[in-house]
Amino acid sequence: MFVSGAPLLAGVLAALGLHFFFGRDALAYPSKLAQDAGIAIILAVSLTLVNGFTGQFSMGHAGFMAIGGYTAAAITYYGSCLMWESPEARGGLLSWALDLERAPIAAWLTSGDLFFIGACLAGGLAAAAAGYLVGLPSLRLRGDYLAIVTLGFGEIVRVLIQTTRPQLTEPAEIAGASIPVLATSLGESLGMSGVPFYTSIFWIYLFVAITLVLTYRIKQSSFGRAFISIREDEIAAEAMGVHATRYKVRAFVISAFFAGIAGALFAHQIGAINAGELGFLKSFEIIIIVVLGGLGSISGAVVAAVVLTIVPEWLREFAQYRMIVYAFLLILIMVLRPQGLFGVREIWDLWGKGRRARAEAPA
Amino acid sequence: MTPLLEIESVSKSFGGLKALCDFSLRVPAGALYGLIGPNGAGKTTVFNLLTGVYRPDAGRMRLAEKSIAGLRTFEITRAGIARTFQNIRLFPNLSVLDNVKVACHLRARHTLAGAILRTRAHRADERSIAEHAARLLDLLGLCGREDAVARNLCYGDQRRLEIARALATSPRLLLLDEPAAGMNPQEKIALRHLIRKLRDDLGVTILLIEHDMGVVMGLCEKITVLDHGIVIAGGTPAEIQRDPSVIGAYLGTAAESKPGTAV
Repeated sequence: MFVSGAPLLAGVLAALGLHFFFGRDALAYPSKLAQDAGIAIILAVSLTLVNGFTGQFSMGHAGFMAIGGYTAAAITYYGSCLMWESPEARGGLLSWALDLERAPIAAWLTSGDLFFIGACLAGGLAAAAAGYLVGLPSLRLRGDYLAIVTLGFGEIVRVLIQTTRPQLTEPAEIAGASIPVLATSLGESLGMSGVPFYTSIFWIYLFVAITLVLTYRIKQSSFGRAFISIREDEIAAEAMGVHATRYKVRAFVISAFFAGIAGALFAHQIGAINAGELGFLKSFEIIIIVVLGGLGSISGAVVAAVVLTIVPEWLREFAQYRMIVYAFLLILIMVLRPQGLFGVREIWDLWGKGRRARAEAPA
Repeated sequence: MTPLLEIESVSKSFGGLKALCDFSLRVPAGALYGLIGPNGAGKTTVFNLLTGVYRPDAGRMRLAEKSIAGLRTFEITRAGIARTFQNIRLFPNLSVLDNVKVACHLRARHTLAGAILRTRAHRADERSIAEHAARLLDLLGLCGREDAVARNLCYGDQRRLEIARALATSPRLLLLDEPAAGMNPQEKIALRHLIRKLRDDLGVTILLIEHDMGVVMGLCEKITVLDHGIVIAGGTPAEIQRDPSVIGAYLGTAAESKPGTAV
């Protein structure tokens, strides 16, 4: 049991370390960048499950992110208003406002953080449910057709959210509204704002750790092998007894779950979420990360997520030429390494291979 | 005794082409059975029907007295039929070991939660899969090549890996689609011994399609000959070799022997 929990424990400690390293101001520049990178890692690694392992080209990842984000934001915003009469964050565990002398342990448990985590999980589950509903009919399609269906799904989600009722802001109004009304008052095309700021480096990197451990372990198990066999040759996979459609749906659901979590973290990071930002451009951004890292490589997705979060920032000094340079760099990498940075391998595979090659060289 | 595999009056057409017409076949348990015929005779169609790639237009197919007609490919694999492919269909970017491990999938008892938590039961399960895969690779003479990427194997090794992978599903009936294609004479002799050994050691029933008459005649106990979707002959290798309709199908009606073919 200790062995199996060790990587996750290491992840929690690393998340804590990052949290205190980047310091108290969650909106300060380096901290914000680290948070963005973390969310990008969750998105990219979860998409790797579908696009990388299972070989299904999904273009609707931002749609799942939007579903998770809006679900969680609606829960924390309206929930806070109903419970505490204000949408302000009620910090607890790890908030810098924590005062051990005045706030006893019991105060942690009633803090908004737990509420926030519950909302994140609800967002993930909502996205997973959407993944199941979309996946079941559409994963019978292959290649381009699936890409088009998922692209359409993302756009449908965006448009549906943008046609909801305006966000309620008056406490009396919120208290008087029924749950279905609250659930459909998601701020039309303006998006939701005033969402409590709960997201911190710790929470983001905790979920990064969970995503990484889970994805890696799935990859190493017979589930992962079934996913990968579908990518390699679907007919042969079925001939080996793999229920291809069922496994594709599974990959889709797990992937959507984490996209939903990432959406929830995103919404509580800047206190606002807008479906307009979560259209197909966002989906492409995630696909670019996955392709660049190497389809099927978890560590590749992590590295690419970090690099592609930092590079556009670093290019800010080029002002309006920024996106041109960015696109040029992407093209350059794809020309030089069409299989992505790491192909289907992990960083440590390449390292191990290099060592073996060197060891064999003199013989 | 009822045979392991029973095909009764199965027909299949593609548009106007009758690929298979009123085809019947009975393969007893433990047999080494051959299915031969000129190109386009409908041999691979039989395999595709048996493995659920196509659905029969008419007729019955039973494995150990259970109907398998209309089942989907993975359900048929679960029922106990495994196959290799005429044009090799390995998982090209996976290692030799992982190719076999994928096919051990049906033995896997673990759950998603177990895999994520990496429980004791899950690790034991993974170990048993690894051992099973290693045993099969050993049996097929692929020991020492576990980490090679399947795509980089030489042709004969790829064919044997496909057999190992098919066996990993623990089938009762193994379908081999031209296992000797592209092999040199030495490899063919080794393959004959190997296939016989698989039947003797593992007790798996084998139905094979093969064009190489040396392999078919030297290996199979019974043979069925197809031509244009119709069974034209059946019997022991000696009977088949004497059958005028078989010779006619392979060589044309003026039956003369030609070196290297049917006889």
